[in-house]
Amino acid sequence: MTIQYKSIKELNEMLNNKDISPTELLDETFQLIDEHKDLNAFVTLNKEGSYKAAKELDSKDAFSSLEGIPIAQKDLFCTKDILTTCGSKMLSNFVPPYTATAIENLEKAGCLSVGKTNMDEFAMGSSNETSFYGNVLNPWNKDFVPGGSSGGSAAAVAAGIVAAASGTDTGGSIRQPASLCGISGLKPTYGRISRWGMIAFASSLDQAGPMARTVEDCALLLNEMCSYDKKDTTSLNVEIPDFTHNLNNEIKNKKIGIVKEFDLSKLDQNVVKNFESSLDQLKKLGAEIVEVSIPNISLSVPTYYVIAPAECSSNLSRYDGVKYGFRTDNITDLENLYINSRTEGFGEEVKRRILIGTYVLSAGFYDAYYKKAQQVRRLIKNDFDNAFKEVDVIVSPTTRGPAFAAGSKSGDPIQMYLEDLFTIPANLAGLPAMSIPSGFENNMPLGLQIIGNHLDESTVLQVGHNFQVNTDFHNQNPSKGVS
Amino acid sequence: MDKETVSTIAHLSRLSLENEKGDKLISDLEEILEFVDQLNDANTENVDPLSSPLEMTARLRNDDLNSKDRKSKFLSNAPDSNEDYFLVPRVVE
Repeated sequence: MTIQYKSIKELNEMLNNKDISPTELLDETFQLIDEHKDLNAFVTLNKEGSYKAAKELDSKDAFSSLEGIPIAQKDLFCTKDILTTCGSKMLSNFVPPYTATAIENLEKAGCLSVGKTNMDEFAMGSSNETSFYGNVLNPWNKDFVPGGSSGGSAAAVAAGIVAAASGTDTGGSIRQPASLCGISGLKPTYGRISRWGMIAFASSLDQAGPMARTVEDCALLLNEMCSYDKKDTTSLNVEIPDFTHNLNNEIKNKKIGIVKEFDLSKLDQNVVKNFESSLDQLKKLGAEIVEVSIPNISLSVPTYYVIAPAECSSNLSRYDGVKYGFRTDNITDLENLYINSRTEGFGEEVKRRILIGTYVLSAGFYDAYYKKAQQVRRLIKNDFDNAFKEVDVIVSPTTRGPAFAAGSKSGDPIQMYLEDLFTIPANLAGLPAMSIPSGFENNMPLGLQIIGNHLDESTVLQVGHNFQVNTDFHNQNPSKGVS
Repeated sequence: MDKETVSTIAHLSRLSLENEKGDKLISDLEEILEFVDQLNDANTENVDPLSSPLEMTARLRNDDLNSKDRKSKFLSNAPDSNEDYFLVPRVVE
């Protein structure tokens, strides 16, 4: 019996039927990790900790939804006594004294954290090519990127190594790799999941979320990841519904918005065809497709590339070679301890963003760039507020195309930034959004993005689940190929 | 971006650009700034800047002690420390 490609729900059934024990489940998971070493999906394994937790569950008679389920954690979450690198040389020796709230919540629910997944350095990248620990490969075709920044998490789930992984999403870092690897991934409303213990990139945009094989599994994970956390000042003190409750309700008469201003004519025509067939599927289920206007949506990427670097330059000023992290050997005085530690400890893309951020925040440029971007951010948020008066969710392709070849965009920052064209708007407005598998182009997965209204993850999940119950894209896998 | 601006920004960022990749970095920065100049297309007169999607006032909390005796754990992550302090090169002669 193999556990490869099983969903959380299927593994839970196996555990409850006594077909397998949590410890045996781990044995197989670590074997799969070993067999797929070439993907480079993991930076650090947590054998000792996960086996200890599994042994405590082995004698149980009944398993709740996540009890005994192996899960991979993005290496951006602090994990107590386990190396946490954030994909950077800067944190190549960082062992946090505490665990992130989101991870603690999952572990309390019984998840077994098997290891920390590779990612773009400090979550800055859309291809997993900026990690200090090397590229992650796409399980569907190893010459292609898995997307990023949560590329290790996406690849581990897509390869069937684990049923679930945590991710984080600042401009698309859950949804874009989910799309490129053919899995489901949700970025919740900003404030839903505590950011405490997440290594900060752009604090007004960063949000953790679940990545899994199915929408239903994402709902199960979200149920546990959410909590009101006093340690995060932007954590929302709101009711947390049972996100699985609504899943099977039909979506008849739901109004589904498509954005008038997204110019699909410039896209890969196979992506457009795929998107249109997704719309047909939703119509078949009784949903009504309505055109909505988000007039300023085309300014999302430039807005993001002012705000995110500005917040990054401020957040990353803490890495100084003094309190924790990498310190250069090349020291003559305190000033060059800072400069050399930062210059040697950060990779190229991170430095690029720190410089841009410092520039747009500096005297003389603040109003022209940073304030301007924040004003446009409000216009975009207002546009969404208006659109959601008319519709229940908004859909789009998740990305402009399927996974691309490694190296093909890494020399051109703007082309790489445009990877997140469809995903960035939801981060700017703080809205929940998910990507689900919607088909294939040349045997590489494509994704459908579903954006919801503020705090309305339930409807996003409901639409996604209804789509999955009536399609088979999420059941394909790289071993059997596309059928 | 002239050389002087670039060196000011590098100084503020505490980064050195004195390596072979410096030139490529500068041309990338120029390209990115040109790209974000599109923002000037938007009419933002009388629009309040939005700094967070939640627009709530940050909560205050009491400065209560909730975990003790973690000094050694925190100091153990430092590149150089003694019993009580992070160590850096001598600043005052």
